[in-house]
Amino acid sequence: MDLPAGTRNYSYADDMTIFRTRTQKLMLVGLFIMLLAIPLWMNRTWLGLVNLMGITIIAATGLNILTGYCGQLSIGHAGFIAVGAYTSAVLTSRLEMPFLVGLLGGGVLAGLVGVIFGIPSLRVKGFYLAISTIAAFFIIIWVITHWDSVTGGFMGMSVPLASIGPIVFKSEESQFFLIMGITVLCIFFAKNLARTRVGRAFVAIRDNDLAAEVMGINLFRYKLTAFFIGCFMAGIAGSLRAHYTGFLSYEFFTLTDSILFIGIIIIGGLGTTLGPILGVVFIKLLDHLLTHWLVPLIEGKHILPAGFASGITPMVFGLAIILFLILEPRGIAHRWQLFKASYRLWPFSY
Amino acid sequence: MKGTRLILGVLVSIVLIATTMGACKTTPAIDPGKTPFKIGMTNPVTGVAAEKGAPMAAANLDAIEYINNELGGVDGHKIEVLALDDGYDAAKAVTMVKRFIDEDYLFFTTASSGMMTAMMESANRDAFPGIVAFSAPNLTQPPQHIYGQTPDYGDDWTAFANYYMKNIWKGSGKPKMALHLLNNSTGAGAKKAAQAKAAELGIELVDIKEHAATTSSEIASLTEIKAKNIDVLYISSTPAPTAVIIKNAKELGMYPGITIASGHAGITKALVDLAGADVVEGVYGVYPTVQWGENVPGMAKMTEYVRKNHPQYEGNADYIVSWAQSLIAAEILRLALKNAGTDKLTPQIVEEQGFKKLKNYDVGGLHGPVTYTAGDNRLSKSVRVLQVQSGKIVPITGWIEAPLITYAK
Amino acid sequence: MAELLQYVITGITVGLVYSLIALGFVLVWKSTGVANLALGQIVLLSSWITYTMLVRAGLPLWLGFVVVIIFGVFLGWVVERLILRPLIAQPILSLITVTLGLAYFIQGIVVFFWPISVAALPRLFPIEPVRIGPAVVSQQYLWAAIISLALFALLSLFFRYSRMGIAMRATADDQRAVQACGIPVTRIFSRSWMFACVLAAVGGVLMSSIGGVTYGLVETGLKSFSVVILGGLDSFLGAIIGGPIIGLAENLGDGYLSRLIAWQGIKEIIPFVIIIIVMFIRPYGLFGEERIERI
Repeated sequence: MDLPAGTRNYSYADDMTIFRTRTQKLMLVGLFIMLLAIPLWMNRTWLGLVNLMGITIIAATGLNILTGYCGQLSIGHAGFIAVGAYTSAVLTSRLEMPFLVGLLGGGVLAGLVGVIFGIPSLRVKGFYLAISTIAAFFIIIWVITHWDSVTGGFMGMSVPLASIGPIVFKSEESQFFLIMGITVLCIFFAKNLARTRVGRAFVAIRDNDLAAEVMGINLFRYKLTAFFIGCFMAGIAGSLRAHYTGFLSYEFFTLTDSILFIGIIIIGGLGTTLGPILGVVFIKLLDHLLTHWLVPLIEGKHILPAGFASGITPMVFGLAIILFLILEPRGIAHRWQLFKASYRLWPFSY
Repeated sequence: MKGTRLILGVLVSIVLIATTMGACKTTPAIDPGKTPFKIGMTNPVTGVAAEKGAPMAAANLDAIEYINNELGGVDGHKIEVLALDDGYDAAKAVTMVKRFIDEDYLFFTTASSGMMTAMMESANRDAFPGIVAFSAPNLTQPPQHIYGQTPDYGDDWTAFANYYMKNIWKGSGKPKMALHLLNNSTGAGAKKAAQAKAAELGIELVDIKEHAATTSSEIASLTEIKAKNIDVLYISSTPAPTAVIIKNAKELGMYPGITIASGHAGITKALVDLAGADVVEGVYGVYPTVQWGENVPGMAKMTEYVRKNHPQYEGNADYIVSWAQSLIAAEILRLALKNAGTDKLTPQIVEEQGFKKLKNYDVGGLHGPVTYTAGDNRLSKSVRVLQVQSGKIVPITGWIEAPLITYAK
Repeated sequence: MAELLQYVITGITVGLVYSLIALGFVLVWKSTGVANLALGQIVLLSSWITYTMLVRAGLPLWLGFVVVIIFGVFLGWVVERLILRPLIAQPILSLITVTLGLAYFIQGIVVFFWPISVAALPRLFPIEPVRIGPAVVSQQYLWAAIISLALFALLSLFFRYSRMGIAMRATADDQRAVQACGIPVTRIFSRSWMFACVLAAVGGVLMSSIGGVTYGLVETGLKSFSVVILGGLDSFLGAIIGGPIIGLAENLGDGYLSRLIAWQGIKEIIPFVIIIIVMFIRPYGLFGEERIERI
């Protein structure tokens, strides 16, 4: 089904290859060129949106590994993003370490915190895990708001610009290259992870953890690995976001965001690499259009009830999550596969 | 399957329609006469702060409508506003300020200190001036390109403490004060000011308690405060928790008996409704604007517009703040136009010739005089002390200026 | 000593209000196996409806409450019929996340129709507190606690003795077996959602008469999750005992622990710390059945 026309698998290596044909490779190169050219034609507003999308894609990819591949539901993702953001901010501004140390440090600490709160996952699943990650979120935020001397408490803290060696990522364009570079790395990591022993173990745990354990998969190790990787990516996203915004406040990390992340990977398609990307693009675009265009358009006229503008965004998002779950639980990614399949066979699709 | 396609189709078409509408909107309205002045506004119309953001957005726009329709804009130049909803979402707020900078807006205004913290870094990097309705020390110190419209929660405390020492405290020795603070910058601002200034003013801070916006009982924390025999309880919070605290204080028999005061986020009509007029009788508060129905020159037009466009917000205290914000924005543009001698304004000209030339602008009497003093980015520095008297919140002083407190970084 | 008594009494009464909301969760879980994460939002929505009926429409108290109860029934029916029923036999992950979507949606509805965001209900109970020795307790809490206990008794009897209640328990245990016995599973689901929404509505009325109708009700809903985790997801007894334990921990923690720790506001995270501790030690809770479901 997924194979391009005219190809056959003659070896296991063939089966594992991501890019099979020359066309695919050319298309990949084309995609990269298009990506790199984005700052040339996009204005800063849209570029800013693309940057935020990149950051969100990293976080959503992490959550997708944890929830989509390994089946461990986390509603505390924003909390782990906050850990990464604050760690990176503290490392770079208070301890004056280089940005890359902050980035990795943020990722690693977020991963470790994730592992700690992931330990209950060995005994509990589903709703229990959802609630314990919510609890994790509140505890993390409480620590951040009360550790005044380090995090600035309720007043927040400012964060220096990202820099690697002599390059300072100040302009929107330069930040685009930084963020997009890391996003692409993360996507490739996720894509490859899914094909390794670890990735297959994750899927086995998701599909039936008892069977997986009987087959010799160490549940404890793999679940915690999933938590580490998922939260590591959250931390990376947090760090990027901290340096991008230039200021951190605990208010930037909300439970609603965590729920939205779940929505994003469901709408995009759970357990696929493409899913988080499509989900983020869909949600962010919808959100941007609603808030930047539709709402101002309506606000100017006094024809609609006062709550219309305010209520419409959460209603549309909530509805999108519900409808996708009911009608297309495999998300946009699945639709895209179907489209590709029918496009390849067109017009003789039987 | 059919249903799926239909739904997906609908969702996709929403996106498409919205895109087209977006594309149409970008063409600027052509004014044959003078060039319009573009300013950006964001308010948290949705999200957790919608309670304040929705009336504030309405007020911003109503005032601009008034200025454009009845005052002929700024000397004939139309004020063009792009009003956006930041949803109390930091990431969104950042994209918005970038859009303002990108599309050549002259400056921007916003409602909440929380969102301004997100936006200020981008604005400061580009020297793009902005006004925030509810300020906080970390926005205006060190002074850069962000200006606070009203005094912050720390200024509230200082102003009240000064008033208390002069007019209410009659005992001997130092009065004992306890703080009950909301767990966000509303509370933290008051705490910092109190810790910095209490000793100097001769007040003994005996206890600092913290509560959540969602609290439904503060009996435990008040029991502890009660044991310390305080003279005055200062609450810096929003109406709902403030109501719970005062109700509990009454149940514990603490109030009446002590003085209770609230920062400006808490002392609104909602407080009286939530706690009941008999419970909050005699509670003090400080507030940076006038109350609805007061006899000041700017009141008539504001009342007229709120009745015409948003009758449900009449009596809403935040509405006044944002109405005033739009008036100040127009005044800044007027000054910039006058002082710069050109109508080709840029953000830099507006900041130098507009913001920094503000002097004793009275905002139709709606809030304290607006003045820029070098080194102090708070535009209005004055509050009035209010008191709940037979269910009404009435001012009991004129404008009291809150001195600048420099916080250690 | 007087302080201790005060903390204990406050803790127990406040905790029983958490229990009330938790009962609605347990009810749905017990009979349909769905974890309702939109609980807080349903409480919020019902409170706004109450506000509209009592303050805006100016209905007399009793009529207003009847309308709110009917609304609860209707809401439960709609939610079950339109959202949960299409997802019968779907993975648990979908069932949990769909309630998150519902939570989001209801939040939008609330902002849409009630943009004012904060409102006060008329005073339902007299303001004078009741004195128990040196301690005081407000009548609002006392009544809320009594109503909560009464509903607990009613529900326990219902699930133990009524045909419908027994059928609900059986459905939670094994849907297919129940269907084979000729019990209409979908009707059972529908009923339990209706009951749960009515409970949420009652909880909403009581909570908002204490602290006003605010967004905070949603987080109170979250706190009630700590009650069900502690008490056990499928145990009414757990909910009714878990609530006061959480309430006590909050108030004693606020009273004593906060003197030892420099960081303020510890009360707010005590329920969540309890969740984590319970997860490590006894994930099925105090009275829950020792059966952990899998994703």
